[in-house]
This record gives sequence, structure tokens and C-alpha cells, in this order.
Amino acid sequence: MVPLSDREVSPEIIADCRAGDRDAIRVLYDTYKDRVYSVALYFFHGDESVAADVTQQVFLKLITSIGQFKGDAAFSTWLYRLVVNACQDMARRRKSAAWTTERSRLEEFPMRGSQEDDYARAEDARSVRDAVSELPPKLRMAVLLRYFDDLSYEQMAEVLHCSMGTVASRLSRGHKRLADRLKSLIGAKG
Amino acid sequence: MFGRHIRHQVAGLLDGELPLAERKRIEDHLAVCGLCRAEREQVRAGMSMLKHLPPAQAPDTIWNAIEAAWPERQQRSGAWFRQGFRPWFLAYAALVMVAAAGIAYWTRVHHHERQWEVVKIQVSAGGDKEPIRKVAGVGPGDWIETDAASSARIRVGQIGSVDVGPNARLRVVATSPLEHRLTLERGEIHAKISAPPKLFFVETASATAEDLGCEYSLKTDVQGLGVLQVTLGWVSFQWKGIESLVPAGASCRTRPHAGPGVPYFDDAPEELRNALENLSGERSFDTILRVARVRDTLTLWHLLARAGVSDRVRIYDRMAALTPVPADVSREKVLELDAKTLTRWKEALAWTW
Repeated sequence: MVPLSDREVSPEIIADCRAGDRDAIRVLYDTYKDRVYSVALYFFHGDESVAADVTQQVFLKLITSIGQFKGDAAFSTWLYRLVVNACQDMARRRKSAAWTTERSRLEEFPMRGSQEDDYARAEDARSVRDAVSELPPKLRMAVLLRYFDDLSYEQMAEVLHCSMGTVASRLSRGHKRLADRLKSLIGAKG
Repeated sequence: MFGRHIRHQVAGLLDGELPLAERKRIEDHLAVCGLCRAEREQVRAGMSMLKHLPPAQAPDTIWNAIEAAWPERQQRSGAWFRQGFRPWFLAYAALVMVAAAGIAYWTRVHHHERQWEVVKIQVSAGGDKEPIRKVAGVGPGDWIETDAASSARIRVGQIGSVDVGPNARLRVVATSPLEHRLTLERGEIHAKISAPPKLFFVETASATAEDLGCEYSLKTDVQGLGVLQVTLGWVSFQWKGIESLVPAGASCRTRPHAGPGVPYFDDAPEELRNALENLSGERSFDTILRVARVRDTLTLWHLLARAGVSDRVRIYDRMAALTPVPADVSREKVLELDAKTLTRWKEALAWTW
């Protein structure tokens, strides 16, 4: 999992956010923004403008509705429900607007730091990103939630409104498809 | 000899997310089943590949955009709460002050929250009205009417805005912090709402649009013949116990004395959209089932509750053929129209909508 997962906000910060404290909301934003953005970015095939739009929508929604968060579930579970909803909304808008094809968006996705980084490593990242992009949306979201926030299966079941068995099934199928798609890379890595 | 294969559970095993008894059963199976062992190694390899996926950093422009769109209510709340409380020996005095400030604050905020204002009126060339240059407040009971050459924008408390098109007539019904409601007698509006669900309502003669956090257009005539088109989020369109849930990219017609119809995606096949116009005909029903795409399970899901038992079976079978039915959605429960089962199925289908 990515190291970002270790960072959580305290119940006091959540309480301050519910009371409308702008500084507390900024703390919460700083804690989760990269995770939310990463999930949206890879869910939408590396389209940075869409990922930024989704991230903005998630936090605006959070600001207006955090009063509804009663603390009876983990905060990240509640937050990622907003993320999933925002991604679904955006996906619908993209379908309806007949946006740029996924393939062309992928080609536009810049390789951050690739000039300085090892070329092979950048190529590996591109291959994995392409493979993730080709997963069906349900499997893609499950894989990304697990990877970027290390949600438990129980939390993912709540976020995705399905059973824990379905979560296990989606992750099994998702990772197997990734392995199939990345056979050559896996072979090269031994 | 091998028992049931466990290929769909290997991720749970590798992630340590299985109960002990289940883990034991799966490990026993793996010990004797080469197929599932191979499957486990594939899943493990797929998981290991994700380490090549670098986490991305959200650009600073996102926070700037959030600040620009920050709801005013939150800004005021934040300013007030940041003041915090004084030391305990001033508790009594502070309590009195806070109580007084709280009352004043509540009064001011809630007055502002419920206030509606006409903030902009446009008059096209040839119109006989002068544009309104100042803000004009409106409240419950007030009518807002535009002619053929004018349109208006109304600020709805702190939660959003409503653009009113030409030849429209609407009445403000409620502007409380817990409910903003208007009646659209005729014409077209475009509502953009950023608030918790179930706070903003628009009534027409044949249906009520209940905001679930969204942006949409609604058009109706005085009899109630109209159409709702959603561009962001969801809208619940209701009338006398009938409810249509309309997501972004979809539309739903409404008719006098019949209420909201079955929603459909705007990019649905023309045959399907035409068939929905004449749902009572058997051929229309056949057409819908024949031409429906995976995404049109939105339409089919809504048809389930509005069809007779035999048609319901056909709808279920068609939906099951279009997209796999989740394990926790039983055919029997769907055909009984069990509410929880239908909701679970909708949640799963929403991924394809």
C-alpha cells in the first residue's frame, strides 16, 4: 500500500469540521486530498482535469454535508462513499457528453518526472496504469480503494454497497486481470 | 474430491481478511487443487504490480477552486467557531455572551439561509422590460413571472440558484433553513443546488422534483406535461407514492394524473425512447427489452415495479442477460419487489449507469 494510508485525522478535527471550522477542514483536506485525487486520477484513465474536478466536488460535498456524519462509522468509509458517488456521477456525465476516448486521454497523461527517473521504471508505471485503466469500473474502483487507502473489506463493502464476499471477488478478479495484462512485466521482474 | 474452487476468495486470503474457519477451509483446498494455487499466484502477482503505480499529488488549484466556491454559511460558521472559549473563570460571563451572540448569529444566519433573491434579469432585444439592476428579495407566496423576452436568476438562500427561462411562472412556497420549495406552474427552470439531499423541492402539476444534490432542468406546462433532465447528481421525481430516481445524463417525462414516467438515458436508442412514450402497448414493451443496452438497466430497473408479474419475469431475465446479477440479489426477492433487494441491485447497477 502507499504510505499515505498511515495518515488519519483525529475525532477532534472531525468534530471541528462538523462545527464549520475552516482550518479544521483544511487539515482534513490536506490529509485526504492526494488519496482522493489518486483514486480519481487512475479511475479516469489519467485525466488530470477530471480528477481535479472530482476531488473538488468531493470536498465541496463534504463541506456541505459533514454535519450528517454521525461518527457511527469510520470517517474514511463516509468520505470514500462521497468519492465513489462523485466518480459515478462524473462517469455518467462523460458517457453522456461523449468525451474524448479513454485511449487518447491515456496518451495525454504526462509521465511525472520521467525525464529524471529511470526510463524502465517509468515504463513499468505506464504499463500498470494502462492495465488498471482497462479494468471494468467496478473492479477498478475496488482495486484503487484497497491500494490507495488500505480500506478493510468491511469498509469497502460499506462504501461499495455490497457484501464482503463481493469485495473479495472483485479484488480477486481485478488483480488476476492485472496479472494477465502484465504477463510480460511480471516475467521480466522474475 | 477438491470441493468448490475458491478462486474468488484468494484476494481475501492474501489480504488476511478471511475469518479463521474460512481461511482453514481455503488453505485445505489449496493444498489439493493446483488450479486454485495457480489462481492465487496470479492474484498475488497482480497485487505486487500495483507497487509500480505512483500516488499522485493533488494540484494546489483544487483548494483554490474550493475556496472560491466555499459555501458562505460555512465561512461564517468557521469564523465564529474559531474564536473558541475563554478560561473557565470567565465561564459565566462567556456563557452569557456566547448565548447572546449565538441568538444573534442564529437569527442572522437563518434569516440569510432562507432568503431568496432575484439577482439577475436579462431582457433580449425587443423586450419591453428594463433590466433589474438591484437585488430584489422574494419570499413565500411571491410569484415570479418572465415574459417571452426575459429570463431571471434567483439565488436560493445559501444553497444554490435557479435560472428561470422565458414565459415561465413560478411561486415561492417555502424558504426555511430545512426546506426550500417552489411551484413551477409553467415554463422551464435550471436548478443548481449544492446542499445536503432533500432540502430543495420543485413542484409541478404532475410531479415533485426532490433534490439529492444535483443540477437539473425542469420544464412543464400548466397541466403538468413536462420533462426533467439531470446533468449532475441525482433527482428523485415523485407523485403519490410513485418515485423515479433520475441520475446525471438521464431524463424523465411526467404526465397529468399519471406522475413521473420511467427514466431513460439521453443517449438511449431512439427506439427505446419512442417505446417509452407508449408503454401500454405490448409491442413497445418488447421493443424496450430488445434494444436495451447495459446502461438501460436504469429504465428496466424502474419498469420492474410498474410491470405485472409475467412482464416482471421477462424484465428480470433481460437484465440478468445484460449484466451479472450480484450474489446477494435473489430472483425470487426481485420478483416479489422486495425493497431492500431492489435497492441493493440498483446500487450495483449504478456502476453501469
